Amino acid sequence: MQSVESHTGVSIRGLRFRYDRGFALEVARLDVAAGEQVLFAGPSGCGKSTLLHLLSGIETPEAGSILIGSTNICSLQGSTRDIFRGRHIGMVFQTFQLLQGFSALENVLMSLMLGAPRLDRPRVRAEAALERLGMRDLHARVERLSVGQQQRVAVARAVVTEPSLVLADEPTASLDPANAEAAVELIRTAARSAGAALIVTSHDPALRSVFPRTVDVAQFGAAAAPAGGGRT
Amino acid sequence: MSGGISDMTIVLRSLRTRALATSVATALVAIAVALLLVLLSLREAASQAFRRGTGNIHLLVSADASPLVAVLNGLFYANAPANPIAWAKFKEIEGSFPWQWCIPTQLGDSFRGQPVMATTAEFFTDFEPVSGVPFQFSDGRAFEGAFEVVVGSSVARDFALQVGQQIVFTHGSGGSREGGHEHADHPYEVVGVLQPTGSAHDRALFTNLVSTWVIHAEEKRAHEPKTAQSDASAPKPDASVSSTSTTVSEAGHDPGHDHGHDHVHVDEADLRDDEKLITGILLRIPTRSGSDASASIAAQFDRLRRDVSITVAQPAQQIGRLMALIGDIDWLFVAMAVVVLFSSAASIMLAMVSSMELRRRQVAILRVLGASAWRVFALAITESTLIGLGGAGIGAALAIVGGQIATTLLQERVGLVIAGAVDTRAAILVAAGAVVLAAIAGIVPAVKAYRTSIARHLKPLA
Repeated sequence: MQSVESHTGVSIRGLRFRYDRGFALEVARLDVAAGEQVLFAGPSGCGKSTLLHLLSGIETPEAGSILIGSTNICSLQGSTRDIFRGRHIGMVFQTFQLLQGFSALENVLMSLMLGAPRLDRPRVRAEAALERLGMRDLHARVERLSVGQQQRVAVARAVVTEPSLVLADEPTASLDPANAEAAVELIRTAARSAGAALIVTSHDPALRSVFPRTVDVAQFGAAAAPAGGGRT
Repeated sequence: MSGGISDMTIVLRSLRTRALATSVATALVAIAVALLLVLLSLREAASQAFRRGTGNIHLLVSADASPLVAVLNGLFYANAPANPIAWAKFKEIEGSFPWQWCIPTQLGDSFRGQPVMATTAEFFTDFEPVSGVPFQFSDGRAFEGAFEVVVGSSVARDFALQVGQQIVFTHGSGGSREGGHEHADHPYEVVGVLQPTGSAHDRALFTNLVSTWVIHAEEKRAHEPKTAQSDASAPKPDASVSSTSTTVSEAGHDPGHDHGHDHVHVDEADLRDDEKLITGILLRIPTRSGSDASASIAAQFDRLRRDVSITVAQPAQQIGRLMALIGDIDWLFVAMAVVVLFSSAASIMLAMVSSMELRRRQVAILRVLGASAWRVFALAITESTLIGLGGAGIGAALAIVGGQIATTLLQERVGLVIAGAVDTRAAILVAAGAVVLAAIAGIVPAVKAYRTSIARHLKPLA
């Protein structure tokens, strides 16, 4: 199940993060092995997205450490952290977050330019990543693509930099069950062939059976969240 | 190598996405830059045209009310001088100092509104309309005999005058037909056409002073009662009376008088001193070759000034004063153009800030992909700077075209010749200023981009 092409895993120790309204997230210890695929499950607002944002260095915790391989992303400052994220972490979002006005190919190229400028022949890599995911019209503007095609572009963009960790935040939330299953399969396959560990968040219980390992994020909630005050 | 995509791709795409706002902001910068350049070049050019228009003259003597009026009338043909200088005064001044040259001029007649200057042949050989650049003939020659006229380049062009044509002057300046009468008995033959000089002289015609005296004397004597004429031929005429009755201005002249008078013939030798009227004296003091300055200029200026019957002017100094007066006013226009430039920078900022909500999502995505906060800051600054660059370029092009149009108009209408419409140094300074202002205008949106919270702007839109 776990292809261990990468030796980079994730290990969280003593992590504490506090929202403005008193709700907190505490993760004493959590490890994800290199190449492992894990589902972060839990209801909306339990802190799944926050945990992903902490893992990617978008948010900074109050205390604790998150090692991506041997690097504690929490201790990286400023642009070092951005560059580390671009290089080692690929992200897929519920609404894809593609760059409007740019073509499918350009979106993927952008990821290479910003995250992995040292990889050679970026155009060949980008085209290959998109074609591997079944994309044909690489030059169409992303806003003209179907939802399914946009998802493929988003996944290609996340894995093209050859990250060691792929984070997918509610990738199935806006899809019907049949498409949701296909989407998860797409992400899992892409992460596996990139040799990256994969963490997918979802409030959909149906996904529990798909992943070999499920982590219930609700257990990390340290205080009651005010109604609607948490994050998705 | 990034294989066909770069930070500039992001910037250009962003500008293209907001094409309308980009165009408006660019146009505003262009207008401001063009306005500034044209105003700056025009004020410089106008002052240069005035300065160079005084030619190689050191002192100007006239009977005008003030030195500035003397210069404007005598060298720029603003009006015909109202008061004449007696011939005796000319002789006195001519003999009072070893001038390099001393040229009498008389203004008063006109040809279809264009001033006619009566002078001597030295005007073409010694006087230089622009210092260091003597008169040159594009056709024909200088006047030699009586009733010959040399025409300035604009006059020749505007009235299609050619060598060999006969033209008739009007007594009195100005275009009003009622104001003066025509010297129909004395047609002049065009014997020369001057090349453009870039001075007011392009708008004038030049005739022999003696022939002008003869015409006026003949007409005057024809109108005089026989007794007055016999009185006037007395050896000692009353200078003050005669000078008012033959004033070169229109004052006292009866426009409705009968033209069918008997013809009276006057030769140069017959001219009485009171008929040898002039309105100005152009003077140059000897200088060492290659120099235009001499200590004697100030000394002679002071000496001549003691004579209260005349007005003495140092043309260069008077023009300097005039420019100082005008300068205060035209700086207002320049200040207005600077304000326009600042408001165009504000419009860049506004255009970028108003689209900030949209671009925050883009910034968040770029950050997730690995762009640092500084990088997105630089992207925003680059974007506003590009608008400034585009605007400055278009504005400079507009200014060059606009400057040439203004130059042509000024030359045709006012006779001011302006070479090199836009000063390169000014153009570079103004364009650089516009670009810097545009870059500064990008700081606010750039800071907003820098501070954009990634987490908040990655949330799905509600």
